[in-house]
Amino acid sequence: MTYTISAPPHKKTKLDFKTLNYSKIIALLPLCLAAIYFFGIPALGIIVASVVSAVVTEFAIQTISKQKVRVADGHAAMIGLMLALLIPPEAPLWIAAFATFFAITVGKHVFGGIGSYIFNPVLVGWVFTRSAWSGFMTPASIPHIGQFSDLILEHGAGLMVGVSPILLIGGLYLIYKRYIDWRVPLSFFATMIVLPQALLFISGVMDLIHKGSLNPLMYMSQMFAVLSPSPELSYSMIGIVFFGILFLATDTATSPITKKGRIVYGITCGVLVFIYGYFANYVDGLLYGIFLANCVASFIEINTMPASYGTMSCAEKAYRRVMDKIPSSLKFEVVNNE
Amino acid sequence: MEIKKLETLPEKVIIPLRQHRGAVCEPLVKKGDRVLIGQKIGGSAEYQSSAVHSSVCGEVIAIEEAAHPDGNKVMSVIIQPEDSNESVAFSACKDVKPDKLAEFIKESGIVEHYGMPTHTVLRPKGKKIDTVLINATSSEWIGGTFKTPDDYAFQMIDALKLLMKAAGAKKGAIVLRTDDKESIDAFEGIEVDKKKLKVAPLIGSRNVGYYFNEQNSDIVIVSQERIFGKKILNFFTYRVTGRKVKIGCDPTDAGVAVCGIRSAKALYDAVHEGTPFYDTVISVEGVSNKMEYLFVRIGTTFKDVIDSYGYTGEIGKIIANGVRTGVAQYTDQVPVTKGTTRISIQKPEEVIRGESIECIHCARCVDVCPVELIPSRLAVMADQGRFDECRQIHVENCIECGDCAAVCPSKIHILQLIRYAKDAIEMAYEDMPEKESSNLKLGCGCGGE
Repeated sequence: MTYTISAPPHKKTKLDFKTLNYSKIIALLPLCLAAIYFFGIPALGIIVASVVSAVVTEFAIQTISKQKVRVADGHAAMIGLMLALLIPPEAPLWIAAFATFFAITVGKHVFGGIGSYIFNPVLVGWVFTRSAWSGFMTPASIPHIGQFSDLILEHGAGLMVGVSPILLIGGLYLIYKRYIDWRVPLSFFATMIVLPQALLFISGVMDLIHKGSLNPLMYMSQMFAVLSPSPELSYSMIGIVFFGILFLATDTATSPITKKGRIVYGITCGVLVFIYGYFANYVDGLLYGIFLANCVASFIEINTMPASYGTMSCAEKAYRRVMDKIPSSLKFEVVNNE
Repeated sequence: MEIKKLETLPEKVIIPLRQHRGAVCEPLVKKGDRVLIGQKIGGSAEYQSSAVHSSVCGEVIAIEEAAHPDGNKVMSVIIQPEDSNESVAFSACKDVKPDKLAEFIKESGIVEHYGMPTHTVLRPKGKKIDTVLINATSSEWIGGTFKTPDDYAFQMIDALKLLMKAAGAKKGAIVLRTDDKESIDAFEGIEVDKKKLKVAPLIGSRNVGYYFNEQNSDIVIVSQERIFGKKILNFFTYRVTGRKVKIGCDPTDAGVAVCGIRSAKALYDAVHEGTPFYDTVISVEGVSNKMEYLFVRIGTTFKDVIDSYGYTGEIGKIIANGVRTGVAQYTDQVPVTKGTTRISIQKPEEVIRGESIECIHCARCVDVCPVELIPSRLAVMADQGRFDECRQIHVENCIECGDCAAVCPSKIHILQLIRYAKDAIEMAYEDMPEKESSNLKLGCGCGGE
């Protein structure tokens, strides 16, 4: 009887790259259907043109460069689908086809393919077409959340991705399944909430200073202004921001791999998106913001490398320095290790 | 937990003369000799070695190289057993003097499951041991001959005292697993030197040192979560005692001896009944729906173990010592040795066939790593031969648990790449002069003092 021999581990996860890509595509399908319902046939045309162009481009590149053809892993199709959602439905089909062609060639394969690209290919394709044909690529309207029903169906949506923020809930399921990481979305989202509220507080205080108010209680009362939602939030909590948080920022190759780094990266994304969005609009702001955050991702990564286990962090060292000076009889903590 | 005993008489028994790390034993028997149960059939004058005993009564049919579950071939004594329980006269020797105890352990053939002979762990040359730990976090080794859990707890405490006596250590601790209710209940409230002990959890900076003080006892029982891996000793020592073992050293450099339940039990038996280490309990996975436990004699072939369950299905893979880091066997004619803890069988359809693709930086490996490494980065560095950069990101801390490779969606052989880097670093620095190496902070920082 013959037995297989191989190197350990002898049991591995069933999850593979293909599953990850297809699960993202499936998570985006409800949104696509809503977009087709909302914008009609042109939206379907954009999606089909974009996905077909992506798959054909990938197939062509891998054939020409004599690599193994791996179109079936769904990565190209996923890029195509995501990019289609960022193109206005009124745009001609060739824009969609060209944007994905550019995303796959320059965005993905020029940098070395899967796992090696430094900019999210979706954003590369979008940024290029946005700059080259800004007339076609400017959305007809910029949405904002007026009432609650806007979360379910947004009538002011200019892009397909904005039609229904609630349908992006598939992304949350992917986080629950650990198909996408939770650190980046959480810190990104938290930053997007905290910054507008902080701005509200700062502007309130600045107002008081301009008025020349000297009553400290007035300043104190501004603390409570933070609790009421800032008007900025209704502009930032739109479909494309959720899409960016759940699907664009979490792209694995363009985000740091260290635990701390992912949190820092999420905050960086949040800050950049907020600055862009505050001075311009959140649709362009989100995409440019994440694009810029991609630039610093590897810088964040190399600066957040974990130390060897058991090494004290800066905070712990400072705490130790203080605690070591206090006589042990005054302390409640554990000190007597032999 | 139910433990079966292998009753059928095997066709042949293969006893490797090297079941430990160190010198190979010289065979003390010849072809055609009749040996008895417990008879010493291999021994060595070297300190770093451990005696080997026959586990059956029968005739030596060959002394030749035979397959070993580690994947290599080792000189082995092959015995054809006969249906007899004749054994050498075992005599209990309860009053062994502390300084003779190490020699006694060596003669009884007691070896840690990770390969080191127990006496070299307790009495390392030129080092002083002050704390002995019994790692009881893997409960599948428990049992065999324990009648009740209380019996187990009592014997472990006794064995710990013996180990401390052998090592000349003042302090000792037994480390349980937090989710192992059975043994925690057994140890809860046990009396040691007229003091009732509690099972104390290891949380935050509360390590054994704290509990030695709190319970005012030289022996404590603590519990922690399970960790596993091929090289866990340094990490285990850090978690339990808070002592950081320097890179390139082992726990004995920090004054800590880590023993397993199996060797503790073997020592207890050797002292109280005089029996050397020739039988053990292993777990068998894959022959039925649940985990099976089997009491076997050392030297029984894997084939006999599998056949004893009446397993007739097709076998794709036989793995010794667990599916995570174990070695796949090319034949079923390999013996159970002192270091064998588990036999796993996979059906042909369960055997994985994955093709590695590029790393997609999903960071799953980073999330699962118990020692806070960046396995994907280490794998890339090792693949490109940038070993110094591996060292800078603490490749030596790796406990080789294999979690990173198991969760990788790109199916990269991270564990092998890390081992490759570790071996390369070890080789590059092994001939470094000691003094120079400690100045440069290379190799073992302890300077071998």
